[in-house]
Amino acid sequence: MRAVHTKVLKVALIVALLSGLYLLAVARHAERDALRKAAVELTPACKEKLQAYALGPGERYRSPYLLRTAGRSSTLRGYSEDDVRAIQRGCNIVDDLQGHLAKSGSRERWYANRFVRGAQTTCNHCHQGVGDKQDAAGNRQVGSNSLGASWVMADMYDRFTGMLLPLEWRQMQCFINSSNGFKPNSADDLIRDITAYSRFLSAALALKIGNHYPEQGIDEIPASATLKRGDDYIRGAHLYRQKCASCHGLQGLGTVAQGRVLYPALAGPESFSLDSRMNFARVNTVMAGFICRNMPLGAEGSLENQDCRDIAYYLGTLPRPAGDRQGPLVAAWERIMMAVMPPLTRYAESIGHVPPPTPTQYAESLGHNDRPPHAPD
Amino acid sequence: METNAVDSAHVRILAALRANLPVGLTLAVVTLPQAIAFSTTLAGLPPHFGIYAAIWGVLFTALLNPSRVFSGGPNTTMSAAIGVTLLPIAPPFGADYIGYALTLILLAGLIQLLFVVIRPLGRMLDLINEPIINGLICGIGLFLIFKSFTSFAGLPINTEVEWPLWIAWQSFLAVLEFGNLYAIQIGLITLITTLVMRQIASVRNWAILLGVVAGTAYSQYLNATVGLQNTMIEQIANLSSTGFVFPSLPVFSQEAMSDIISILPGAVTLALLGLFQTVAAMRRMNRKIGDYTDSRKGIFADAVSNCLLPFLSSLPTCASFNRMWLVYSLGGNSRITSAISALILLAMVLFLAGPIAIIPMPAMAAIIMVVGANMINWEDIKPHLKDRREAVVFTASFLSVLFLDLFGAVVVGSVLAIAYSKWEQAHPSISVRGNVLKVRGNIYYGSLPVIESTYHGLIEREGSVVLDFSECYYIDQEGIRWLAAAKAAQKVAFADRRRDLDRRALERRATAEENRGSGKRRGQRRNKPDRRHRSEF
Repeated sequence: MRAVHTKVLKVALIVALLSGLYLLAVARHAERDALRKAAVELTPACKEKLQAYALGPGERYRSPYLLRTAGRSSTLRGYSEDDVRAIQRGCNIVDDLQGHLAKSGSRERWYANRFVRGAQTTCNHCHQGVGDKQDAAGNRQVGSNSLGASWVMADMYDRFTGMLLPLEWRQMQCFINSSNGFKPNSADDLIRDITAYSRFLSAALALKIGNHYPEQGIDEIPASATLKRGDDYIRGAHLYRQKCASCHGLQGLGTVAQGRVLYPALAGPESFSLDSRMNFARVNTVMAGFICRNMPLGAEGSLENQDCRDIAYYLGTLPRPAGDRQGPLVAAWERIMMAVMPPLTRYAESIGHVPPPTPTQYAESLGHNDRPPHAPD
Repeated sequence: METNAVDSAHVRILAALRANLPVGLTLAVVTLPQAIAFSTTLAGLPPHFGIYAAIWGVLFTALLNPSRVFSGGPNTTMSAAIGVTLLPIAPPFGADYIGYALTLILLAGLIQLLFVVIRPLGRMLDLINEPIINGLICGIGLFLIFKSFTSFAGLPINTEVEWPLWIAWQSFLAVLEFGNLYAIQIGLITLITTLVMRQIASVRNWAILLGVVAGTAYSQYLNATVGLQNTMIEQIANLSSTGFVFPSLPVFSQEAMSDIISILPGAVTLALLGLFQTVAAMRRMNRKIGDYTDSRKGIFADAVSNCLLPFLSSLPTCASFNRMWLVYSLGGNSRITSAISALILLAMVLFLAGPIAIIPMPAMAAIIMVVGANMINWEDIKPHLKDRREAVVFTASFLSVLFLDLFGAVVVGSVLAIAYSKWEQAHPSISVRGNVLKVRGNIYYGSLPVIESTYHGLIEREGSVVLDFSECYYIDQEGIRWLAAAKAAQKVAFADRRRDLDRRALERRATAEENRGSGKRRGQRRNKPDRRHRSEF
């Protein structure tokens, strides 16, 4: 009799626990549904961008961008209310992944901050111009990681694993490899909304599926695209001080003012990881390509290929978080380095009297001119 | 008289069949989704690789391995090792990739054969002790539950390897927040049915099958009322194209040689992963049923099977903790169980592809969760927590599964266990009476400093020492040199009372000791364990 009682109790407990979990799941689903139906409050950059592209619910969609650039316009199928909200949310996530600008914080961003480490990371740091970088004249910036152009290349073979990656998985790679984070499930609204936004951009910019556009991805700079003198991180450090440090800080720790990230960290705990393909020590063409096409802001394209590689090399030597695959020892070591190096460097600089050599002095000390006479401009 | 014997044999076979049928059926049903999932999501190979491993791999090992609770077949970590090794070499699911996979498995099988041929190598695998194995088992059990979250809720599986605990937590949140509610309902119905049925003694062995049936029935009901296009429930693939056998040849062409050399380390890992699990699981489960099987036989069975399987388009085989646990908990206690499960699976694939195809994946995920939960058994853990050393080894190997991986857990656990046993040996019991120093234990490089410190203290106090090592059972070369040096310094006299004993008495004692203490080792050397001595326990 007692045994039967225990068994009944056991079963009741199990059933109660599982039904409790089910009810919790139903409640959380309802919460998400409400969020999907709620009106979206756009960030300032998104408001501007989506207004310029005339996003709104309707039967038909005509791109103002195409009208302006080509003088003609084609009519596409329009967007439903749900679509518009998804696109708006996607834009918000790209612009402000952490939810610093949202009323209810990361909840409005589908808790995207769960999947990145640090409190600064956002997509906009690399996918500049909210994933659609243009110059003053409205020309799309070459090699600017455009999300619209990325969508039309939807499925790509991964260069390192050879796997065929759909856009959703490429976004996951962004989270793991570029933003020093973890991978969201590919069915997450987070991924869906970013996909919706990318897809809308491709429609607004009249990009055609399967085509390669110059603004897609990064124009990588291999050593063969330079004069092949070898990369030089001392020269890179000097260039970094001249060109980058005013925004990113001398230690590359980024600039934060009043809780807003003005310029992202390039090193230290808030930056991308050792495993990131942005890390020169891991892939030595990507960061250089990014710098040459997208930096410094407002003077893009002003740096030589070798300059970009040198700066990227220097950045690759700074301490940053370890990637997931590198294990606890490397992680601990990097943690120590991230804590110790900035004050140490500051101290060393405060007692040093010798200013670092200019690039020309340095090149002369190596026994050759910075720019050989036969070099093309 | 003769017909009687035949009749009783018939009766016995029938009885064995009747006892093992539900267990075999359950095993087959549990293995099927694992086989498909392991080959497609982990190894990057078509689903028939896993299925053939679950049929031919299980049959081969059941045939070759005399252990009564052994169950082979596809394995998580081995499948993952294949994926990790080959992804940099060729795109998965392609012809090249499959060829290299077959080569990799064959290489692993050949390396495993080395462990049969070179005896000390095989003996090394016995250094994994029980706390390590139980730590592994608990870790794997938890891991299986975590891994099932996504398919339980009809979500895509996270394929890339990351920190598993984090992924588990994120998957759990994903289930709560945006999992497919229909899938969750199916999964919960399966789970609750199974758990309730397990409480009823008469249907206990059928609990998992009944759970699958309930889940499938509910899924069919949903299909009829809501429609599959709306519920979007994933079902087991239609396997009707999978045949009886699918012969294949590993790649060994000239131009592939450089790649084959580059996958050699992967082959070693694969071989070791398989053998570790086989030896550990066999020992653990054999002890549970109070049986003993030489681990060499398990290694031999695995090695031969893995040399044959690549010719049949199959994943490699090794012991499966979770399925052996299932067989044990359902009361299966004969090789017939595994063989039956393989044959049932073959029949299912050949003749029942249609009905199998409608089994929903959430139901299968729920079953894997039950299997995982079964593996965490408090009664097995409790004894390890009583002893501090065992508790440390157990906890280390348990946490290593969660924080590192299976291989890391084995390494961490073994290092700790060996360190502890060496520590024990490095502290011989030393007693001093007058100027007689008696050492019980080993005199070797590790214990010498301990002995030396007492010895020199005694010399300073007494001037001369009698060193009694009549109860030492091992002196290594360093120890002998030290003894010789001490003797040469002429401050020490040796007492070894064994010399004074009657030779015949000594011999008698040695035989008795051998029978008691090292019967196991003797048994191995003779190939046939001496049953008379074993029965003394």
